[in-house]
Amino acid sequence: MNRFVRRFFASILLVWAVFTLTFFLSRWAPGSPFQGERKLPPEIMRSILAYYHLDRPLSVQYWEALKKTATGDWGSSFKNPGIRVSDVIGQALPVSLTLGGVALLESLILSLVLGTWMALAKDPVKGILRSLSSFEVALPSFLLAALLIDFFSIRLGVLPPALWSGWRSVLLPSFAMAIAPSGYLARLFATSLEETIRSPHYQAARGRGIRPFRLLLSHGWLLSLNAVVSILGPVSASFLTGSFVVESLFAIPGIGRVFVLSVTNRDYPLIMGTTLVYTMFLVGMTLLGDLIGEWIDPRVRAL
Amino acid sequence: MNRFSFMLPDRRPGLQRILGLSGVLFFSLLVSLSLLPSSWTGLDPVEQNTRFVLAPPGTPGHLLGCDFLGRDNLSRLVSGSTVSLFIGVCVGLFSTVLGAFWGLLSGYRGGMFDTILMRLLEVWYALPELLIATILMLALGHGIFAVVVALSIGGWMGVARVVRGETLKIREQAYLEAARSIGASPVRLVFRHFLPNLLPVLFVLLLFRIPGGILGESTLSFLGLGLSPPASSWGTLVNEGWKALPLTPWILAFPAVLIVLALLAFQWFGESLGKRWLQ
Repeated sequence: MNRFVRRFFASILLVWAVFTLTFFLSRWAPGSPFQGERKLPPEIMRSILAYYHLDRPLSVQYWEALKKTATGDWGSSFKNPGIRVSDVIGQALPVSLTLGGVALLESLILSLVLGTWMALAKDPVKGILRSLSSFEVALPSFLLAALLIDFFSIRLGVLPPALWSGWRSVLLPSFAMAIAPSGYLARLFATSLEETIRSPHYQAARGRGIRPFRLLLSHGWLLSLNAVVSILGPVSASFLTGSFVVESLFAIPGIGRVFVLSVTNRDYPLIMGTTLVYTMFLVGMTLLGDLIGEWIDPRVRAL
Repeated sequence: MNRFSFMLPDRRPGLQRILGLSGVLFFSLLVSLSLLPSSWTGLDPVEQNTRFVLAPPGTPGHLLGCDFLGRDNLSRLVSGSTVSLFIGVCVGLFSTVLGAFWGLLSGYRGGMFDTILMRLLEVWYALPELLIATILMLALGHGIFAVVVALSIGGWMGVARVVRGETLKIREQAYLEAARSIGASPVRLVFRHFLPNLLPVLFVLLLFRIPGGILGESTLSFLGLGLSPPASSWGTLVNEGWKALPLTPWILAFPAVLIVLALLAFQWFGESLGKRWLQ
């Protein structure tokens, strides 16, 4: 457990480093949050900047932001004054979590089925499945999303083309998000499963006459699962925090869309908030993935 | 085995071999398409002609029809392919070189230095890729150069990780110890021993980074964060096709098919080389 305590503190350090980098990167980018549709008189501009403490030296601003963020006060949006960053994230995050969770589940199921089939199949079928998985990886999600909307919403009219209302609007975007990772994961899983099947212990178990289903499940699958679990952390973090591409195509009010809007508006508090949420998810999910990996296959602890 | 033995006929069974070959074939087709001068279609890709707005494929003089401003689809596709492939290759090269430098330095020096470089890499990994890309695009404008820089700086981390691992492996080899014990300088070690042995890995990584760059460009441009309108690339063409989709699906279909085929070609090419070189 000691190792995980160390990992935990390293993660906090990582979040701090990302905070610092994001702070300076976003201030470095040209433009300002108040450079809008019309030019403001210089006195008004000055008083706005003073109000938000943007006229102080960058180092002072950084310390203030760091102290506030650490105590849980993430400030309020510059673009829409009075709206708290935590409220914006609180509204957008559940949407992205739902969508990402469904997409993650779909891509896991798809990749495990495809991967198992690929590992067990003989050559002509195996080749076809392999090229199918390459095709999945090569299909950009925006393209797939566009085709899905065109086919299911416009031509057939059975599923909503956009927005977020009810379970029917989850189907198309989650599928568009799930396809590319599932091809990649299927490949990983199939390679690992093939290796396991070739290994002596599997062949020995087979020789002992263990029934095929049990053989595959507890002698093959369990040992191959780690290939997928080990990269599940980063994959699930990018799923759960939303894919901006898919969210913007389907006009889904998730965190990915909030993020890009905040960057283009230079809405500093909102950029910091969304980046922090993303980083914390990434770190948390990677840690969780490693824990699950060790639980499934204790051999990795030795590494 | 000769370094260029991938040119020799492949002995792997049926379908896999056909896939590898078709990857190479399509790859060369794309390269030759993008090397053609954009004027070979005889039409300016940005010239508008109101008589031909949304003309279907097969219209005399416009083999693939025209877009919503009456610009010739074929010449836009040709110039777009050049731009997209150029961006892809540049992103591939820059991010591979950057990653190779970082990984080699980290693996070669080792110790505390290695730890620090790898921690920095983790921080860079933890930043959302889109944040890096968007901020760099804002700072550098919306030209080809900006896209290349934004995507390269956002995508070299994977390369660095692999190169570091390979460097650590090479460091343990007997020939390296031999070279070091007869007093070879670090520069000589890097250029005569590390780099030549890393070359196959780097080439395969490059082949996988190029489609990454192509995909990144088309995603950015599709979302309107990449190249700005008059320019054509696969991403901007898909964007324009998507807007006119219910009326004229072919405008979306041409660039879409090219993107998918290009990504497949690079993937197959990279995979068959990887299988040969990196067993």
